[in-house]
Amino acid sequence: MLQTIVNILKASGVHAWEVSDVKKTGWEFYFIRHALDQHRAKNVEHITVKVYQLVDEGAGLGFASAEIAPTATAAEAEQLVRDLSYRATLVKNRPYTLTPPAEGELAPGKASDLAAISGDFIRAMAELPETETEDVNSYEIFVSDVTRRLITSAGIDETERYPSSMIEVVVNARRDGHEIELYRNFKSGTCDAAALRRDLEKAMGYGRDRLAAVPTPVNGKVNVLFSGEDACEIYSYFVARMNAQMVYRKMSDWEIGKPVCENVTGDKVTVMALRELENSSANHGFDASGSRIRDVVMIEDGVARNYLGDRMFSSYLGLEDAFMPTNIAVSGGTHSEEELRAGQYLEAVEFSDFQVDTMTGDIFGEIRLAYWHDGEKCIPVSGGSISGSMGDFVGSLRMSRESAQYDNVRIPALTLLQGVTVTGAQK
Amino acid sequence: MKAPFSAYLTSIKPGLQALIALLRRDYDYVSVLATDSKGLAVRISQRSKSVSSQTMTTERGVVARVYRNGQYAEYAFNAFDPADPAAAAAEIRRAMDAQLALLQANTVKTYETPILPDEAQTLFVEKEAAELPEQTDVKALVEKLGVISDKGVSLHENALDCMVSAQSTHICKMFLTEKRELCQSYVYSEGNLALILNRAGNTQISYESVSGLCGPELFDELESKLEKVVETGEELLNAGRIEPGEYEIITSPEVTGLIAHEAFGHGVEMDMFVKNRALGAQYIDRRVGSELCTMHEGALCAENVTSYAFDDEGTLAGDVTEIDHGILKTGICDALSALRLGVQPTGNGKRENFEHKVYTRMTNTMFDSGSDSLENMIASIDNGYLLEGMESGMEDPKHWGIQCIIKMGREIKNGKLTGKVVAPIIMTGYVPDLLGGISMVSPHREVFGSGGCGKGYKEWVKVADGGPYLKTKARLG
Repeated sequence: MLQTIVNILKASGVHAWEVSDVKKTGWEFYFIRHALDQHRAKNVEHITVKVYQLVDEGAGLGFASAEIAPTATAAEAEQLVRDLSYRATLVKNRPYTLTPPAEGELAPGKASDLAAISGDFIRAMAELPETETEDVNSYEIFVSDVTRRLITSAGIDETERYPSSMIEVVVNARRDGHEIELYRNFKSGTCDAAALRRDLEKAMGYGRDRLAAVPTPVNGKVNVLFSGEDACEIYSYFVARMNAQMVYRKMSDWEIGKPVCENVTGDKVTVMALRELENSSANHGFDASGSRIRDVVMIEDGVARNYLGDRMFSSYLGLEDAFMPTNIAVSGGTHSEEELRAGQYLEAVEFSDFQVDTMTGDIFGEIRLAYWHDGEKCIPVSGGSISGSMGDFVGSLRMSRESAQYDNVRIPALTLLQGVTVTGAQK
Repeated sequence: MKAPFSAYLTSIKPGLQALIALLRRDYDYVSVLATDSKGLAVRISQRSKSVSSQTMTTERGVVARVYRNGQYAEYAFNAFDPADPAAAAAEIRRAMDAQLALLQANTVKTYETPILPDEAQTLFVEKEAAELPEQTDVKALVEKLGVISDKGVSLHENALDCMVSAQSTHICKMFLTEKRELCQSYVYSEGNLALILNRAGNTQISYESVSGLCGPELFDELESKLEKVVETGEELLNAGRIEPGEYEIITSPEVTGLIAHEAFGHGVEMDMFVKNRALGAQYIDRRVGSELCTMHEGALCAENVTSYAFDDEGTLAGDVTEIDHGILKTGICDALSALRLGVQPTGNGKRENFEHKVYTRMTNTMFDSGSDSLENMIASIDNGYLLEGMESGMEDPKHWGIQCIIKMGREIKNGKLTGKVVAPIIMTGYVPDLLGGISMVSPHREVFGSGGCGKGYKEWVKVADGGPYLKTKARLG
């Protein structure tokens, strides 16, 4: 079907076109405790066609897209292209050109051994050290071998093949007849058994502490230390503010060459887009429009350097070699762990769902487990929430020199937000 | 008009029935779900415009479920050749056997489950829709949304953009076993209006939505939402921050729906009972809310985006009374969890799409109405807030914690709205406290279906929820 659709597009006379073809074979295993609930396999192909048409004699560019089933007939494919050709004329956007082909060949990647990767996950979970009071409730393993190809009328024909894995784990902890759970969702290329074991052992420790937690006793403005994956949300604010679409839509006022925040009293953030991060599930060679992904500094020592984003909005900003970043690395921390852990602070390690609204800057999270460090002792606490606005925190942000990686994001191991509003849980 | 059932699915039915017969030689139970759902999505803003045939639920593919030796397995594919079912059968056997070899090599135990019943049943449902997404006048729709977007930005001096989206999906699904043949076709639509404002660096987004079990004719309602979006946007720009604490609150129907969804939606998904992941299992026939609290769940509870005739396992749609006057009566259940728990399935087995596993999922989750007027509810509050607009929610079924992100709160002092607005708000608390505190319920009831729902952080499906205005107490921050 792929070649049929490409031939139809070439003969169609449309202004431009892109065809994305993603083939995925996947294995999945679902466990309750350590017994197999269900096993699944998939073999699917998704072909997406995007047609571009000039409108108003070239003053505008329209586009329309659709997925075409691999089982479609040639007649169906021809009709689909006719429909898209018409529909594309109905929407008028500022004109831009498709990504031109890049020089040099990308490494195509190789087939992944689904059985070997799945086996690694199954054995890693079976070997997890559980206790009478902390154990695994259930887990789901997803392993895929993905082949992704993009063909465009501009001459791009790129292919990459890569492994993609995910494991979702629910951990239980219990004491005196009371049981709680902690949820984890790990994404990666293949199975990193050591990291999985380390993170789940840590989760079990949090489970023990949560059972001993008291209702969060503090109210008002408090320094909050993030020491886990939730901090990735904080840095998503910086990445979003440097996204070409946010800038073009005037939802971000960060300007190239200018500090992202005036009167900084804390650390100055550096954000980089990276082509590769070890065992990331997002080590892609090219983005959805075929733009090659490479290492680019987005923010350097608190100063905006390069916007990145999709082809359309990057073109509108005059960025011809931009791309959608897939791996992100954040640095710039100047503090030791000891410095960040000085004085009174709330160390938040488990939220119901910590969120940062990248448009408004608002942050929210219900506290499932935190540690209240009152300057002398440390108390596990639970309940209540934190809230505030990133706009108030960027200038005084403090970060550790050490870093931690969560799939496709590498960030400082510790992040301190100062003056966060905490709503306690004590009656 | 009737939304016509997929000609493609009809054409492959004999091939799929042959595939089932071939697989039955090796497996004790075989079912097939085949899908062919077409859609239309139009997104118009001042800065970008697009037309697509893809929505959250468009798909075409097949998933086969097989059972042997107490173990269920599935194979999902989308290149089925109805002329060669033997090739598909061979591929399914090969994949299942390769997985079993890995499992045996690692001495993995089976969570044994009884075999699903397979009683003869046929059903052919084509629901009504005035228009179909695949036949709608896209040019007229683009123009209509463009007018709304232009008008939206013209109505507020601080408007950056007015984003208007319209999505309509024609769902067609066919469920087959040796003895069963169920076919359904229906159309649902949803539209959203989002006004983005910026004043002196303060960015806010105000939105309204419409949804329904109908075709693109729904989008005629969008323009009527403009005035409200502009009003709310101005209020958000002027909003202050709330003083954290516990307050008397009135939840608008949208926020009521969010509470229903998070509190005793996820909390009574009975696949969580199987895993001992939900506290609700221990509270059946016990009080979890006030006398005024009654909640229903099911595809038959309302006519909205997920009001199907049968679920993704071929169980007919239902209407379950989950909470009856404050007493938790039952949960909702997919077919395999029902077998494991020894109960009847409720028609809540849903997949994100044919590639994904079935889980117990919500459909329409609704609080019942009461008899208290909104005016009397406001008059009864000394110090509290009327909460409006939902952003997101998260539950903890094991501990009954709840987090709701709410767009804004209107201050109530001494029985009157003061005109002061605070935003945004995070509402947290313990579910039985929240529901136990319900002291007034309005007769007015609404359903909202423009959002999606994940299980954990994946498996996104369409859901709808809603209810009346409720008065209770909650912790706000």
